[in-house]
Amino acid sequence: MNFLRQALAVAAKDLRSEIRSKESINASVAFALVILLLFSFAFDPTSDEVREMAGGLLWLVFAFAGTLILNRSFARELVNDCLDALLASPVSGAQLFLGKVIANFVILMVVEALCIPVFTIFYNVHWTQSIGLLFVVMLLGTWGLTVIGTLFSAMTVNLRLRELMLPMLVYPMMIPALMGAIQLSRVLVAGEPIADNQIWFRLLVAFDVIFSLLALALVETVLVG
Amino acid sequence: MDRNFEYMFYGFTAAWLIVIVYVIWIALRERRLRDELDRVKRMVEDQEREAKK
Amino acid sequence: MMRTKLIILFSVLAGGLLAWNLHTIFIKVPDEASQGAIFRVFYFHFPAAVTSFTCFFVAMFSGLVYLRKRDLRYDAAAAAINEVAFTFALITLITGMIWGRIIWGIWWAWDPRITSYFICLLMYFGYFMMRRAIDEPHRRARLSAVLSVLASVDIVIVWKSIEWFRTQHPGPVLEIRGGGGMAPGMEAPLFWNVLAFLMLETALILVRMRQQGIQSEIESLRRYAHAF
Repeated sequence: MNFLRQALAVAAKDLRSEIRSKESINASVAFALVILLLFSFAFDPTSDEVREMAGGLLWLVFAFAGTLILNRSFARELVNDCLDALLASPVSGAQLFLGKVIANFVILMVVEALCIPVFTIFYNVHWTQSIGLLFVVMLLGTWGLTVIGTLFSAMTVNLRLRELMLPMLVYPMMIPALMGAIQLSRVLVAGEPIADNQIWFRLLVAFDVIFSLLALALVETVLVG
Repeated sequence: MDRNFEYMFYGFTAAWLIVIVYVIWIALRERRLRDELDRVKRMVEDQEREAKK
Repeated sequence: MMRTKLIILFSVLAGGLLAWNLHTIFIKVPDEASQGAIFRVFYFHFPAAVTSFTCFFVAMFSGLVYLRKRDLRYDAAAAAINEVAFTFALITLITGMIWGRIIWGIWWAWDPRITSYFICLLMYFGYFMMRRAIDEPHRRARLSAVLSVLASVDIVIVWKSIEWFRTQHPGPVLEIRGGGGMAPGMEAPLFWNVLAFLMLETALILVRMRQQGIQSEIESLRRYAHAF
């Protein structure tokens, strides 16, 4: 329990800092809106095919916009040697990591919540039938993205080309989670029965569990040595 | 069938080409590393001689 | 000296095996019933795929051993193995594409194997980029080992997910599993080629490891020089 409490303390710190400055959320939402706009030029927003693809497009937007948040996650600690201070504190690397994952998760969920109405309006999508399940998919998918992204943020924090390296490393890793989330979102929006697609749920849950455990096990090595 | 032979040769050529290019790249790297090693060794010797003076 | 002899031994053996195999593949093995001559590319495609895939996992273990023992030689081994595996994965991809061009009529079929291999190449490209971006040897070794573990675990999950994706969205018919209907005479060169590739790769890995040793010698000499 102490583990969780420490992690939540770190999460609260990050969230408080974000609420006060709002830099990540603003940048991320703006970027997401721009991508939605650009997509509308690539695809015809009013056609039926696009409505079928809607789930996929949405998760691409979340993945791209999320990278902005994840990049900042450890990078913001570099100023004034805050990262060294955190590592020297009684909080273990895993607790620090978990706290940041939780904070990033909340921030990304907020960004997604802001994007979805815009997306619905732009692309004329009907979500009403399966809001509940869709919310679950969003939780699972976002957790997968956040865990991987925060781990790589920790890995690349001291690298020369951090902004270039993070996207390049992170996107291939996220592919299973993105695939699961995209498939499920697509299915839910199209109104197809979820039973045929249970495997994607299982994939998403398995991905989240495996990589959460793996990340918690490895993060100490990454941060400290 | 003729097209198959043509593409088969492309396939083999591609595989061998990649291996050969890789081996050449390794060989060039070896030469560059040896040159650098010699250069650095000479630099260290010079510095040691300077320090003894 | 010992290592140089090993390298030469492996290279010669590999070369000999490959040459003998080429003879078998071209002269003695008949054309496969449905595919014709292109099937012979499989004799390179399959060994390259199998050996490179194994190498990625071996490199992962080497990285884990580094994390345990903090001996930089294991990191050198991991990097060398990954590099050779990357090259042979590239061979797998390209021979697979050429084969697919004939069998399915398209260069890229988005089937599980080729897509997973492409993703694998992307991940390890990132691995090499990251190694180049870090100068301090132990830090580079540490992060490389972690990345290696993540990549290897992920590639298995990616493979499975794309397989499931493809069962729902079938692409071109993919039944080219030669193993099912391969005549006994045709299988032997395949396994010999796997052995030949393994020896070739071992030779290349040993050469690369020796180069890594030279590289670290240069780095330590530089540090010594700067101390004056």
